[in-house]
Amino acid sequence: MGVIEKVPAYIERIPGGGIVTTSMDWVLNESRASSMWYMLFGLACCAIEMMATGASRYDFDRFGMIFRASPRQSDLMFVAGTVTHKMAKRVKVLHEQMAEPRYVIAMGGCACNGGPFYYDCYSVLKGIDKVIPVDVYIPGCPPRPESLMQGCIKLQEKIKREKLSDWASDRPMPDRTIV
Amino acid sequence: MTKEEIAIKLKDKFGSELEILETNQPEAYVYISPARYHELCQFLKEAPEFDFDYLFQLGGVHYPEDRFELVLCFSSHERRHNMILKVKLDKDNPQIVTTSDIWMAANWYEREAAELFGIKFVGHPDPRHLLLDDDWDSGYPLRKGWTGPDFISMPEK
Ligand code: SF4
Repeated sequence: MGVIEKVPAYIERIPGGGIVTTSMDWVLNESRASSMWYMLFGLACCAIEMMATGASRYDFDRFGMIFRASPRQSDLMFVAGTVTHKMAKRVKVLHEQMAEPRYVIAMGGCACNGGPFYYDCYSVLKGIDKVIPVDVYIPGCPPRPESLMQGCIKLQEKIKREKLSDWASDRPMPDRTIV
Repeated sequence: MTKEEIAIKLKDKFGSELEILETNQPEAYVYISPARYHELCQFLKEAPEFDFDYLFQLGGVHYPEDRFELVLCFSSHERRHNMILKVKLDKDNPQIVTTSDIWMAANWYEREAAELFGIKFVGHPDPRHLLLDDDWDSGYPLRKGWTGPDFISMPEK
């Protein structure tokens, strides 16, 4: 009954079956938060750490997170690595190809604000949030898998706070969460 | 060949157009005048005693006081020797003939040097941008003193 106790539901036994009364928001948010499929996409050294997190030692699968090789099937984009001006245009297109609701995690110093390439660099974009909206920022060079997973948990918390009614209107710009 | 042998052979053929640099490096360092640059490259590639068939680096250097330099490094798979070739280019209008007809590898290296330093390679078969975006129009970023739209220089300590 451990799980059932956490569900905000009223369960009633009637002959021939059960009826569960719960909130639509809760069901949808819980299922979305537990199946954030992320895009198979990395830009630089941070992507190596993302791969490590996806592999068996840290194991993203237990979050219900599975990589998808197509933006059309992804809910979440890790911007893992150095975003050059040239690449930023492509990242923007990929972000637009993802179906709503979509989320972005900026992973590492480079994606947050240019990181080690902030000064004296002609080619690197100073933060992916200049191009697409970001939900969670994870600093580090590179962030350890633990930080990445904490970022995902923060994003799950954020998804669980959303309401169905938010979907009807234009989704507001995400608030900054710094892990 | 040792670097001394390379130096002597080249000096014999190119005379005063060629200058040997004294270094403590294992390779020969050679300056050539722009006028005989292409001829020398052709010679180094084709002469059997040199046989420099592998161009592994070509890049620009900007000396803001007086010149640009082009630096070519090549080696020979067969003879196992290396060599560094340098050319001094004009400060205001850096321009040199292409070597992409001699080494295929020069094609991309020259495109890179052209977009980053603004060195013009006369006769290059494909003078598009290589690394920068096609619509880049903020000048030549590896020249000293360059600044661009999104550029922040390191503050003084
Ligand atoms: S933040 Fe560090 S590790 Fe990550 S992409 Fe940038 S340089 Fe690489």
